Amino acid sequence: MEGIFGNLAIGFTEVFKLQAITIAGVSMTLPFNILMCLIGVILGTLIGVLPGIGPVATIAMLLPVTFNLAPIAALIMLAGIYYGAQYGGSTTAILVNLPGESSSVVTCLDGYQMARRGRAGPALATAAIGSFFAGCVATLVVAMFAPPLAEVALKFGPAEYFSLMVLGLVAAVVLASGSLIKAIAMVILGLLLGLVGTDVNSGVLRFAFGISEMADGIGFVTVAMGMFGICEIIANLEQKEHREVFTSKVGSLMPGKEDWKRMWKPILRGTALGSALGILPGGGALLASFGAYTLEKKVSAYSHEFGKGAIEGVAAPEAANNAGAQTSFIPLLTLGIPSNAVMALMIGAMMIQGIAPGPQVMTERPQLFWGMIASMWVGNLMLVILNLPLIGMWIKLLTVPYRYLYPSILLFMAIGVFSISNQPFDCFLMACFGLLGYVCVKLGCEPAPLILGFILGPLMEENLRRAMLLSRGDPWVFISPSKPISMGFLLAALALLVIIALPALRKKRQEVFVEET
Amino acid sequence: MRTLLRLLILVWLAAAAEFAAAQAWPSKPVRLIVPYGPGGPVDISARLLAAKLQDALGQPVLPDNRPGAGGNIGVDLVAKGAADGSTLVMSAIATLAINPTLYPGLPYDPLKDLRHVTLLVQVPNVLIVANDLPAKNVKELIALARQRPGKLDFGSGSTGSTGHLAGEMFKMMTGTYMVHIPYRGSAPALADMMAGRVHLMFDNLASALPSIKSDKVRALATTTRARSSFLPDLPTLDEAGLKGFDMTTWWGVSVAAKTPQAVVDRLSAEILKAMDAPDMKERLRNMGSEAPAVRTPDQFAAFVAAELKTYTALVKRSGAKVD
Repeated sequence: MEGIFGNLAIGFTEVFKLQAITIAGVSMTLPFNILMCLIGVILGTLIGVLPGIGPVATIAMLLPVTFNLAPIAALIMLAGIYYGAQYGGSTTAILVNLPGESSSVVTCLDGYQMARRGRAGPALATAAIGSFFAGCVATLVVAMFAPPLAEVALKFGPAEYFSLMVLGLVAAVVLASGSLIKAIAMVILGLLLGLVGTDVNSGVLRFAFGISEMADGIGFVTVAMGMFGICEIIANLEQKEHREVFTSKVGSLMPGKEDWKRMWKPILRGTALGSALGILPGGGALLASFGAYTLEKKVSAYSHEFGKGAIEGVAAPEAANNAGAQTSFIPLLTLGIPSNAVMALMIGAMMIQGIAPGPQVMTERPQLFWGMIASMWVGNLMLVILNLPLIGMWIKLLTVPYRYLYPSILLFMAIGVFSISNQPFDCFLMACFGLLGYVCVKLGCEPAPLILGFILGPLMEENLRRAMLLSRGDPWVFISPSKPISMGFLLAALALLVIIALPALRKKRQEVFVEET
Repeated sequence: MRTLLRLLILVWLAAAAEFAAAQAWPSKPVRLIVPYGPGGPVDISARLLAAKLQDALGQPVLPDNRPGAGGNIGVDLVAKGAADGSTLVMSAIATLAINPTLYPGLPYDPLKDLRHVTLLVQVPNVLIVANDLPAKNVKELIALARQRPGKLDFGSGSTGSTGHLAGEMFKMMTGTYMVHIPYRGSAPALADMMAGRVHLMFDNLASALPSIKSDKVRALATTTRARSSFLPDLPTLDEAGLKGFDMTTWWGVSVAAKTPQAVVDRLSAEILKAMDAPDMKERLRNMGSEAPAVRTPDQFAAFVAAELKTYTALVKRSGAKVD
């Protein structure tokens, strides 16, 4: 314990260190690292708010600039962009039903519904507070338990990942608030869409119809923006001039007493789940927000409100995704293994600076390691201070008339989708998904299970086939006693399936989730 | 006489035009196509190079990510594009030597449609094994593979990657059989190796080095002819008995085939100058690249032709194909 505080002291000293800097011939003494952290989180918030423009592209563009900085300043800034984007991503999800990052899809479900009920302010505040709390706790987890947790992460092989994804998919059905059979259909449609592209094992192209732009599969952002953003715009325009929004009845900006009472437990559970799943390099962080939402829906006393603007449905996934964002640094810092594209970029940044990422960083460069961890704390604090006053401004956005708001949203979405791979094709594809989304809405099918199927499908298939290759085709590898983790997940999935399918419970389920017609 | 004069004038005009092209180039911003998404090693080195070239050429050099179809879309853009030196592409072993066999319908010919300017980065692959594998050197590994045919797994970043093909080369030269386990990128493969689920891997030096240094995996040999200065004590596969084994991961800059010679020469000179600058040299070295011996456009073209030949045979043997 004493060691931890000593180390954190090193870190904070590093973060707040005053440095003599010469800018344009004027030399001055500045707390340079903390400034870089501020720049990082502001940039991150901005790109998080702008749909489609994600942290990967931003960090890649800034990389050459960072080479002229000291390694610690560069890494603090890049990390700030990453977790800043997690904050910003929830803003558009709540205000206009537009998930900018994969993790904010879940926030759309109840966050946007809260906004429709005039509670955009509390929703945004809940997201910020939940993220802040989760970020602080998860940073502490990184500081105290990074090495042992990395060992846990290594216990997850292809078989374990596959079983975890199965559990995730079964849980996806719970995500929907409407008909069970439609939710399953949407999950399967998502799985199929996820299969488009080059097969990892053989390299064969599947469902690409000879279109070279589809050789690498369909982009997540393309699907999410079409199914959520465009579809929402079409659906709203259908109601001629009957603007249901939100502005007339915007209540208080901050959560009330009742809200606080309802959100603290979900935030705690979300943080725990997010911290745990975040350490898994193979898509664990993605599952965190979906998992947290599902969990809340099962345990909450207000489960009937889910999908209609339950504050728990915002607090838990937001806490989970931010906790996951912090703990996903663990495999990077302790094993040198990147858990996602942003982490791979951080490794690139470290290597160019001449630092080999891995366990030796902690011992050889304690200032860098602990400085970065301390900066995450400071960065999270800055984000919450930055974001809470902004809420008033964001709400004003909602008063913008449709005729200005919608074309601008469409433009930003098109720019965002185009900027990912510079292909006009992706914009057309997004429009197609918009139409598909609209058809689904008309049929009473919800897009969230489709998105989860779409994300999990390829991961699941990849791990299934890898596990089978490694076991030389023996399917028992998933439930053999030598793989207790995998067996546990599959048993949990089975249990969940039984709960969903039990006739008695199903009757009750139908009482609760009467399909809206 | 008159004809001779005409001819002379023609030659002079052509030379002048050539000269003017070199003088005038670049008269507008230069696009540097990166046929992959942002953030990979090719992208990072392209951005480093773009910053240097921009200063030297006096025109903006803009990296432009055009990912898709294993890099083929971006390379094809340049192969079919204007041959005036305004568009460059980061071409690599995948798009120039491996994909022509891997993708049967490749829209460009890597030798006829492109002019190869400079080899920028060349990184060795390293043969690494899981710590709990009993083999302590290459000889023991070969013996183990012979003793347990089809029982050893080798991971790689993807089907048709250099890691995969180096494994195929190893199998071919040693007459052993091991199972290829493809991953999405080498990081998850490395993780499974640390956990002992995969036995060996021919990984890129840059991505494997941290794990080797921290003893999470054990390095047995490099895949290059000469030893790497990063791991000077590590033997090469050639030294270990696999005579002639020489595989690297490389990328460089290419332009459309009909680009004027003067532009190619100027571009090559500026890129080499940028690469020799101490800061750039240091950064490329940090990516695992030691100054490549291939330098001039002609050397690079000959190198590409030789690599294409090697990998055509290897890909065919591995049976991998994208339809």
